[in-house]
Order: sequence, then structure tokens, then C-alpha cells
Amino acid sequence: MTLKEKFEQLKKENRKAFIVYIPFGFPNIEYTNKIILTLQDVGVDIIELGIPFSDPIADGPIIQEATATALKNGANIKRLFSQVRKIKNKISIPTVLMSYYNPIFRFGVERFFSKMKELDISGILTVDLPCDEDKNYLKEVKRFGLEPIFLVTPTTTLERAKKITKNAKGFIYYVSITGVTGPKVFKFDDIKNHIQNLKKLTSLPVCIGFGIHKLKQIKKILAFSDGVIIGSYIVKFIKENYKNRFFLRKLKNYIKFLCMK
Amino acid sequence: MNLPDKRGYFGEFGGKFVPETLYLCLEELEAAYLDAKKNKEFINELNYYLKEYAGRPTPLYFAKNLSKYLGIKVYLKREDLLHTGAHKINNSLGQALLAKFMGKKRIIAETGAGQHGVSAATVARLFGLKCDIYMGEEDIKRQKMNVFRIKVLGANVIPVKSGTKTLKDACSEAIRDWVTNVKNTYYLLGSVIGPHPYPMIVRDFQSVIGREAKKQILKKEKRLPDYLVACVGGGSNSLGLFYPFYKQKTVKFIGVEAGGLGKNYGASSLLEGKIGILHGTKSFVLQDDFGQIKNTHSVAAGLDYPGVGPEHAFYKITGRANYVSVKDNQAIEGFNLLSKLEGIIPALEPSHAIYYLKELAKRQKNSLVIVCLSGRGDKDLEIVQKYTKK
Repeated sequence: MTLKEKFEQLKKENRKAFIVYIPFGFPNIEYTNKIILTLQDVGVDIIELGIPFSDPIADGPIIQEATATALKNGANIKRLFSQVRKIKNKISIPTVLMSYYNPIFRFGVERFFSKMKELDISGILTVDLPCDEDKNYLKEVKRFGLEPIFLVTPTTTLERAKKITKNAKGFIYYVSITGVTGPKVFKFDDIKNHIQNLKKLTSLPVCIGFGIHKLKQIKKILAFSDGVIIGSYIVKFIKENYKNRFFLRKLKNYIKFLCMK
Repeated sequence: MNLPDKRGYFGEFGGKFVPETLYLCLEELEAAYLDAKKNKEFINELNYYLKEYAGRPTPLYFAKNLSKYLGIKVYLKREDLLHTGAHKINNSLGQALLAKFMGKKRIIAETGAGQHGVSAATVARLFGLKCDIYMGEEDIKRQKMNVFRIKVLGANVIPVKSGTKTLKDACSEAIRDWVTNVKNTYYLLGSVIGPHPYPMIVRDFQSVIGREAKKQILKKEKRLPDYLVACVGGGSNSLGLFYPFYKQKTVKFIGVEAGGLGKNYGASSLLEGKIGILHGTKSFVLQDDFGQIKNTHSVAAGLDYPGVGPEHAFYKITGRANYVSVKDNQAIEGFNLLSKLEGIIPALEPSHAIYYLKELAKRQKNSLVIVCLSGRGDKDLEIVQKYTKK
């Protein structure tokens, strides 16, 4: 399923998107598939699967630590693709790959996109690649019919937001704060203003991520956006609970609580 | 040819590979810098501080004992005589003035050997700016004196515990701070790395080295040198020396990278790295097959970095400069050679360049060479002492 189709479905059902980020290979490589399927079962709408990178400049301590663990576990792009292939037929919700540019660049942009296509993964978000930095990336993403996601942040000017929304597909990822991933306090009015301005520029859904770690925040954010992305908070939960023998059940209940099901 | 181009590229290298949050401030920085470059008040103030505070121009010293020993004519560009003990102050003065012109109240910086940290802390005092320095825990251990110097200067040293706990992680952490505090904070990057416009700005502020050297050599020798030799970590002292000679094709450039303990156990990004993206710029990067950044090693903390400035990558690809590698034990030999022959104790970073002169002398008798002596060795005495005991 593409992101476009997913958001059309959500619109019909009058629902907002609940998006969860997990780093591939954390807490170990085999667990990632179990976690993905559990998240799907419990009604998560979109999964963002992170490709671990040794120098994640946009991430706070929680995700830094998790990706370092994933790398120690031997996580890499090749293993990510071979693991996802194992559950390809069981995944019915869209997956977005989230990466820093260097691992993709080293793997080969064209080769990377063709693998994504082969595995029906349509969304790609490259955190440190601004929308107009690499023409080849844009050309190839188009050629393979994928959905490139770009960030819009509190420091993004209107002029620049126009450019970003023009190049983006799937949804717009609005970064709630100027800062790295991990728990934050929000100024909701500022975020709301930005979202309203952004909505005037594009018909794409706008989802909000970075720093979200409270049910109250989720409720408030969903009131003026099309979806919410939770990352560090889930990663922290996984870290603290994965050794528990009822971990997957606990994760289920936790997500149910967060997405108010 | 004007380098970099409008988008910040040196051929295929450079660019702005940053999270969107930083995009606007890079544009603001570029605009502010291009303004300042033309602003008489800014230029005069910078020149004033370079002269009266830092001690420019630095001598171009004819190293007669070393020359006699090697059989080539060696001039040392004495950046080691500058205030704070290394070339880093050239760039720090320039960027701190720029920060002041932009109305920023706080500067942050990354540091490896601590030389850039010291120079950033120094200019922060001079201009009344708040200053936080990111430094890897490993480097804090091996550069204790510089850590103390930074503290004496009233700046705050923030230990970086992530990754390899060295310069690359300090750099990542400084970028994270900048992403978070972008509105009031100026990131004073210490080398010709990072996203555009940093490689250009740092190069321009360091070019004073090469501009002076050119005038001085023409006066002393009535001709241009055959070779320029300098060490390359990120690559700011070397580019500062090379760049003003770019168009004089008879002048050959040699960049000396840190070979550490040998192949795959060093920090020779240009010789052993592959093209990739690190800390906002596309250049040669030491990485594995999956694009993960490799650990590096060098006895010289200031060269211990897995990337290199994009302009060096361009010089390599186009053949404008030649890059070589010198190992830890050879650098120590260079350190002793200059100390014993000239009574000048070099930092371990330029000791790599000093050692390479021996190699060069074997092939190019009687040539005229300028070496950038980028810093003095006081900070490294403890390391050399330990190394020699081994």
C-alpha cells in the first residue's frame, strides 16, 4: 500500500495517522520483524523503519544509543532488505524507510530505490538531504515511482516550504521543534500556526514528529494535523521492556493506550 | 574559476547535506559572510586583531640547519608563533567577528587536539561571547593541558561520550547543539569541512597564511617555491597555504595525511577513503561497505578525523595536489628532527609534514619548499614522552 492510498483510506474513515518509528536491528535483528507485525496488528497506520547510521546528527541520546546497538548487532541495508522480504506478504500497511544519506549513497541510490520497489516499500525520508540538494536522487525517486518525504521545520521560510511541498509526496513531515529527536516541551500555538500556513501551500497530509512523549501532546497535535509520529518514546519503551517474556503483549497495550484504541 | 560554485560545490564535492532545520541559518551565514567580506569596517577590524592580537604576519623562516641536513631549501611558515600556538586563531578571529556582526551572543565549537577549542575560547573572551566547546572524552584524556586552558579562559568544555569519543563525535554533538539553539548560537567550525559555506569561509580566513608566504618568498628568493607541504586532517592549514597559489601551476602542493599505525589503522581519508557524505559535505570519507563511518587513529589528535574538506577532494581528483601519508612513528621522528636541528618544537600535526621532507629530499634535491608549521608542540610533550618510553 502506498502512503497516498493510506491517507485516502484514513480520510474516508475520518481518522488521523498514527505513525511509529523503530530503528532496524534494535534490540536485535530478529526482533524487528516481530515488532513490525505487532505494531501493524494493533492498528499503527504507517511504520517508519530507521536505517542505523554511525553518526546520526539529527538524533538525541535515545535513538543514538539504539542505533549504536543495532550496528553492533550487525544491522545494515542489505540485512534490512532481506529481513523485510521475509514478512513482505504479511505487511499490509505502508512502510517508510528513514535514513541518513551516506548509507544510501554508498549502497547506490538507484540500487537502493530498485530494492525498495521490489519490496513494495514506497516512502523514503533522508534526514540530512534537503529537497533540492541532489538532482539525481529526485530523478531516480520519480523514475521508481516512490514517495519522497521531506522535513519542514520551525525555521523553514514560506519560500522554502513551497519548494519542499512541490518535491514531496506521501506526506509532509513537520518537525515540531528546532532540535534533535527525544522528549520535548511544546508551544502548541506556534506549531498550529505553522501547520495552518503549510496547509495553504499543499494538499498533502501534514504529520508532526520529534519530541512527542505524552498522550496529552498526541491529542493536541492530532487536533490540527493529519497524523503524529512517535519515535524515541517507543524506542525507550522497547529498550526498557524487551527482555520481559510478555514484551510483545506489553507493547501492544502500550500502543493501544497511545493511539487511543 | 571561482570555487566553490553558487551551490557550494567544488566540482562534485561539497554541498549542504543538513537536516532542514539548519538550511535557513546556512543561507543567513552565507549572506552575512558575503556582506562582511566587502565591509571595510569588518576587514579593518579583522586585520587589526590579526596583527595586534594574534601576531601576524608570521615569519617565513629559512630553516638553514634542516636545509643543510636534507639537501633542499626549506622555509617554515611560522604559524606556531601565533597567539594560542597554532593557525586556528586566524579562522576563530574571523568567525567570531562575523558572529558579532550577526548579533549572535553564544558560540559553540568542536575540538580534537584542543587547539581550535582554545582559539575559540580565546576569541569568545576577546569579544564577550558565551562559549561552549564540544570535545570527545578520549581527546579530553590525551589533551589535558588544552582542556585546562579552555577552562581558564572561562569557556565550558562539554565531554562527548557517544561513538568513538573523538573529533568526529564532537563535531556531531556540536551540530546537534546548533540544530537546537540555532536562533542565538553561532557554530564556529574549526576546519574546511561541514556544509557550505563553512569550507569556503574557513579557507578564506586561513588564506592569510598563503598570501603572506607568497609575498615573503618572492622577497627572499625572488621566485615562487617548487613545493608547498602541509599536514591534512580536515585540511584548514594546508588549504590556507595552498589556495593563494592555486593558479601558479608550477607550485606543486603536497598534503600529508595521518597514516597512524599503517594501512586501515590511520586517518588518511583522501588516500584510503571513498566518496561519501559526512557532517554536511560530500568528500572522501573513511567508511565501510555499508556507509558506516570508520574509527580512525593518529598520534596527532588534530588529524584524527575520518573526513576531509571537499576542496581537498577536488584538488585530489583534478590532480592539483598530491596526497601522501606519514605514520605515527615517522611523525615522532619529524618532531625530533626539527627540535634537534632548529630548536623549534613542532606540534605532532605538522611533524607529519616535517617528516615528509625527508622523502621529498630523496627525489628532489635542491628544490625550494615551504612547509606550514601549523602549531607548536607544547601540547604534545606528554604524548611524545609516553611514546618514546614505549
